[in-house]
Amino acid sequence: MTLANSDTFEKISAILKAHTAVTVPITPDLLIGADLAIDSVQMFDLVMEIEDAYDISFPIEEASGIDTVQSLVEAIERLKNV
Amino acid sequence: MFDTDTNRNSVFAKFEKLAERMSAVSAVGRSPFGMRFDDMLSPTRARIGNEEILLAGTNNYLGLTYAPECTTAAKAAIDAHGTATTGSRLANGTYSDHLDLEEALKAYFGVASAIVCTTGYQANLAALSTLAGRGDHLLIDADSHACIYDACRLSDAETIRFRHNSPEDLAKRLSRLPDTGARLVVIEGLYSMLGDVAPVAEFLKVAHAHGAMLFVDEAHSVGCYGDHGRGVAQAQGVLDQVDFISGTFSKSFASIGGFIVSRHPALELIRLVSRPYLFTASGSPANVAAARAALGVIARDDQLGKRLWARANQLHAGLIAAGFQPASPPGPIIAIERPDDQTAVAEWNKLMDAGIYVNLAVPPATPQAKSLLRLSVSAAHTEADIDRILAAFRSL
Ligand SMILES: Cc1ncc(COP(=O)(O)O)c(C=O)c1O
Repeated sequence: MTLANSDTFEKISAILKAHTAVTVPITPDLLIGADLAIDSVQMFDLVMEIEDAYDISFPIEEASGIDTVQSLVEAIERLKNV
Repeated sequence: MFDTDTNRNSVFAKFEKLAERMSAVSAVGRSPFGMRFDDMLSPTRARIGNEEILLAGTNNYLGLTYAPECTTAAKAAIDAHGTATTGSRLANGTYSDHLDLEEALKAYFGVASAIVCTTGYQANLAALSTLAGRGDHLLIDADSHACIYDACRLSDAETIRFRHNSPEDLAKRLSRLPDTGARLVVIEGLYSMLGDVAPVAEFLKVAHAHGAMLFVDEAHSVGCYGDHGRGVAQAQGVLDQVDFISGTFSKSFASIGGFIVSRHPALELIRLVSRPYLFTASGSPANVAAARAALGVIARDDQLGKRLWARANQLHAGLIAAGFQPASPPGPIIAIERPDDQTAVAEWNKLMDAGIYVNLAVPPATPQAKSLLRLSVSAAHTEADIDRILAAFRSL
């Protein structure tokens, strides 16, 4: 399954859309900061929401290395299997 | 306004947007971020140029900065022990003054262990970064002060945020954690921006039920809440069960410095390994003496606390009567949310024109990106002072 079709990507796209004022189609290579105008404080709130959506622990230290939508999806996949 | 250097490799390039924002704010009037008092006259008065300003944004909750007990003790400490310690607590920077203050804190809080630090910021860094290590988890309130976030960055533990003031949300996040490693929950007694109080007793129950310890930063609440100012944990009847309390001497205690206290004697061990504690100079004799004197006043006399609450209630009720909506119930911190930065800046300038200084608080320093006019009340304010502040708000 390609990333763009994965369930995680679909679910994350919906969450990201709710958190950004920018109206562009969400693609894996988009930069969460520069393209979606989600700053580091908003990113922390997004992380709390993702924790609830997936019933996982998502330490904020993990968030600091995330730049693209794809890296966010990969982080969630990794944390789901911890 | 600032030469940020057009070279994109300049270390200053990243501050360009910040410089633009500062210029825009300053263009409206005075610069709220470049405030300078030409003279301090009392806990509640300062002079800027020829103007006398009524201070309503100082964190000087008990107004002790000019109390004869504190000023006399600070001056005597300079004469006796000099202006500085010139070294770390672990090397040459521990004087009997630091140890006496630690003993006084132990007696005041009724705890087994107390560590005096150079600032409150350092106290949180020293404690949190060391108590929580690799494989452990720090669980912090989403509205935590910047120094708690910085402490988490310095710690090797993983940090999980929970929703502000929600013990239920904390319980949910604690139950998701693996069984391995220690868990430390971090909250504040009184939140510095919105002035809301934590349900410490409920957090304690949740933390202990999930095998976690509870750390309460009482920087703003000590001196203001509880019996003789022992803080929110004491006011809620759980001081003897909370695992750690940190605080500062820079607000109610009319000095500079910080502390960590604990019912666990093992807190002492962090002195040997905590980098923020080890690698900075200890508090100066004058600062330690002023804090010790303030603690003496607070422990002996509860009139200041009573006066503070009378003024806080007066200001809170008056603001509501004037059509404003304080963010929280009455307390020493009263925040008024404004619709946006521009409104807050314009109103802050109007208040300054009326000779009233309050804090302007804007994102990212505020929770939920709010723009705030933040007032702090002092026991040194008179009823007439509060009336003057209210009159200025009515004219906004
Ligand atoms: C919640 C909180 N913790 C700690 C501190 C730091 O205290 P200090 O000024 O002593 O560094 C502050 C003060 O700004 C604070 O608001």
